[in-house]
Amino acid sequence: MPQEVATPEEDRQQEDQRLLALAQAGDMSAFEALVEAHRDKVFGLALRMTRSEADAAEIAQDTFLAAYQHLKEFRGDAAFGSWVHRIAANHALMRLRHRRVVQAAEDELKGPEFTERGSLADYPERDWSRDAEGKALDAELGLAIQQATDRLPEGYREVFLLKDVEGLSYEQISELTGDSVPAIKSRLHRARLALREAIDQFYNQGSARV
Amino acid sequence: MYTCKDSINLLMDYLDGEMTPEDAQHLKEHLQGCAPCVDFLRTYRATPGLCKRALAKSMPQELSSKLTEFLRSKIKSAS
Ligand SMILES: [Zn+2]
Repeated sequence: MPQEVATPEEDRQQEDQRLLALAQAGDMSAFEALVEAHRDKVFGLALRMTRSEADAAEIAQDTFLAAYQHLKEFRGDAAFGSWVHRIAANHALMRLRHRRVVQAAEDELKGPEFTERGSLADYPERDWSRDAEGKALDAELGLAIQQATDRLPEGYREVFLLKDVEGLSYEQISELTGDSVPAIKSRLHRARLALREAIDQFYNQGSARV
Repeated sequence: MYTCKDSINLLMDYLDGEMTPEDAQHLKEHLQGCAPCVDFLRTYRATPGLCKRALAKSMPQELSSKLTEFLRSKIKSAS
């Protein structure tokens, strides 16, 4: 039986390998235990990428069905979790590509402003990086971040989500999107700058209230 | 001497540990004399982690049950 509490990653991987062997031998309840252990991660990825609960639910279905259909081919050279994660990323991207056909060309994301001499025009009024550690996330900040992420042009948003939120490597993203690693890095940097800016604005508004 | 602009362009390579020793040296020198860029670097580095926490989601119970039902029906009909 899968455990309710989250186990450390290594325990999870060992448990996955055990369940995988059973599932590959046709044990349906072992496969269901794998689904239960990984569905939040898969659904979360799909929801963040597509921003639609209905799409995310379908992607989760397609992902685990595909995983089941290819179960015998999966050799366990990667963790089961990262394998289904990549399947989900692929399904989510396909959906976004399909949607994007009707969308207009993307805006370029502007970075921070500099003076003529190349100095920062606006700099952080305070270093809020420590606030990011530990304690529960401020709900308003959480909302501000969600909105800022939603405002990113698609290509930037995808790369940011896949790399910084889902933890895929540049190479894995390149494989999924067909974009070059330098292009991915450049978009990721721009996306981070825009989100940093949004968080900075949130904290500066906050300090005006104090 | 690097400007803030040069330094900020290099932040990602710096955090990825993918800088030439020469660039790293230039960046270090700039950061030593530029407090705003140090704050910028720290907040840039904290951004992904904050976003990850803000964007965390779990699957609603109802959808989880539907997923299980869906897989059972598909897998049964295939075998
Ligand atoms: Zn500077």
